[in-house]
Amino acid sequence: MSGRGARRALLGLAYFLASGVALAFLVLPVLAIFVHVSPGKLIDQLSNPVVTDALIVSLKTTVLAQALILLFGTPTAYLLASRRFPGRSLCVTLVELPLVLPPAVAGIGLLAALGREGMLGSSLDAFGVSLPFTQSAVTVAVAYVASPLYIRQAIASFEATDPHLTAASRTLGAGALRTFFRVVLPLARGGLVAGLALSFARGLGEFGATIMFAGSLQGVTQTLPLAIYAEFDQNFDAALAMSGVLIVISAVLLLTLRIGLSWQRSPSTRSLSLFGTSGSA
Amino acid sequence: MKRILVPLVVALAMATTAAAAPRVSGITVYAASSLTDVFPRIDPGPKYSFGASSTLAAQITQGAPADVFASANTTIPDQLFAKGLVQKPVVFTRNRLVLVVPTSNPAGIQSVYDLRKPGTKLVIAATAVPVGSYTLQVLKQMGLTASVLRNVVSRESDVRSVLSKVALGEADAGFVYSTDAKTVPGKVQVIKVPAWAQPKLTYAMAIVASSSNKAAAQRYISEILSKAGQAKMLAAGFLALPKKKTG
Repeated sequence: MSGRGARRALLGLAYFLASGVALAFLVLPVLAIFVHVSPGKLIDQLSNPVVTDALIVSLKTTVLAQALILLFGTPTAYLLASRRFPGRSLCVTLVELPLVLPPAVAGIGLLAALGREGMLGSSLDAFGVSLPFTQSAVTVAVAYVASPLYIRQAIASFEATDPHLTAASRTLGAGALRTFFRVVLPLARGGLVAGLALSFARGLGEFGATIMFAGSLQGVTQTLPLAIYAEFDQNFDAALAMSGVLIVISAVLLLTLRIGLSWQRSPSTRSLSLFGTSGSA
Repeated sequence: MKRILVPLVVALAMATTAAAAPRVSGITVYAASSLTDVFPRIDPGPKYSFGASSTLAAQITQGAPADVFASANTTIPDQLFAKGLVQKPVVFTRNRLVLVVPTSNPAGIQSVYDLRKPGTKLVIAATAVPVGSYTLQVLKQMGLTASVLRNVVSRESDVRSVLSKVALGEADAGFVYSTDAKTVPGKVQVIKVPAWAQPKLTYAMAIVASSSNKAAAQRYISEILSKAGQAKMLAAGFLALPKKKTG
């Protein structure tokens, strides 16, 4: 009896210690950045043109990339979620592939495909378009690495919508398009927002593919992560401050996501909530 | 046992396949990107970490476990010396800045002055990187600062990134060391920077103050300065040290 109690206490202690170590490990680097940069310093750096330029480039390219991801990714995800056709799982795998590619490989791939000497480079050239070193190249790199996060989550959310509701909508006379916008999209909304937030965060942190495909030039292609890397050499304070800015943005994003999700988990939508899907995805 | 055997086997393999045999092992050498090819050719023994001298210096400042630091300039090692992070630096080689363009030369560049042409895609290295600051010196010397910097499309993190962007044909031109241009034969054309505009381009190396193996680090530096070491540097296109002894 007492042996079992002791064992249970020991197990509890082990759990406690392990989670303590894990938590400290995950929090420490973030904490250290804010120990190094006081809020005052962080605000000061917000008037450093390197920082503001990078912030603007980052936000512009990431927002644009998210718009493209939403526009092309949503129908793709709906198609993959609602239709069964030969080669479907291959398609899903291909869509998810960039997720597991090292960013450097993504950069090389983008250069090989869309670079001036790349596969499609000469055709793009014929239209007077040259991607490398432009802000569009940053957007392309961000969209490439971030889109699988959204599409994956969107597929799961669409799959979790109750097919009876869709069918009811159709039997009540609503067309496919109307059903999609009035029934499917509202039902899947929570999951779509979650996917978008994740892909936004991933896009904001994009580094490897961007530096290879788009280069790094202040005010044009130098995003926050690239600027952090460049400033590491010369102005460690600026690098720290930019890291602080990125942490704040990411934390706000994560918090919004959490709040949005708990709001989504209201009883009326529980059976359809994305938690059932995202948990199993 | 393993510690002795592995280098021995590597040494044997090297001795049979290549001329260079590792003489100094068990140390880590942080060296400028432009030394990527030549240093292991002089001695494959140490562990190498190549990168922009400025990045390596930042890493050493943050406590990176380097034994030797070899920089593409003298300013960075001098700064580290002043902070007590490295021992007294010694000059070990010189280099020359050149302009490279892709073999196809899509922008039709024949001289540094052609870089003023609107729409030219020039890549240079970031200002903190030695080759980047040499580039700015050349442009200033030639009175081209404003007109050429307008055409810069990327400031890369080290000299080899500049080179690869040009060798891939993505950029129209880039400033690199003449020794870098030699590492991608057939991919780039070299355009000379006029002798009168060449900056003084000397490399210095030093033992890192926190090194736990300073004797081996010193042996490595002596090896680079030795006749055989210098011969390999010359063969790779680096320039001989000035006659006047520095050490």
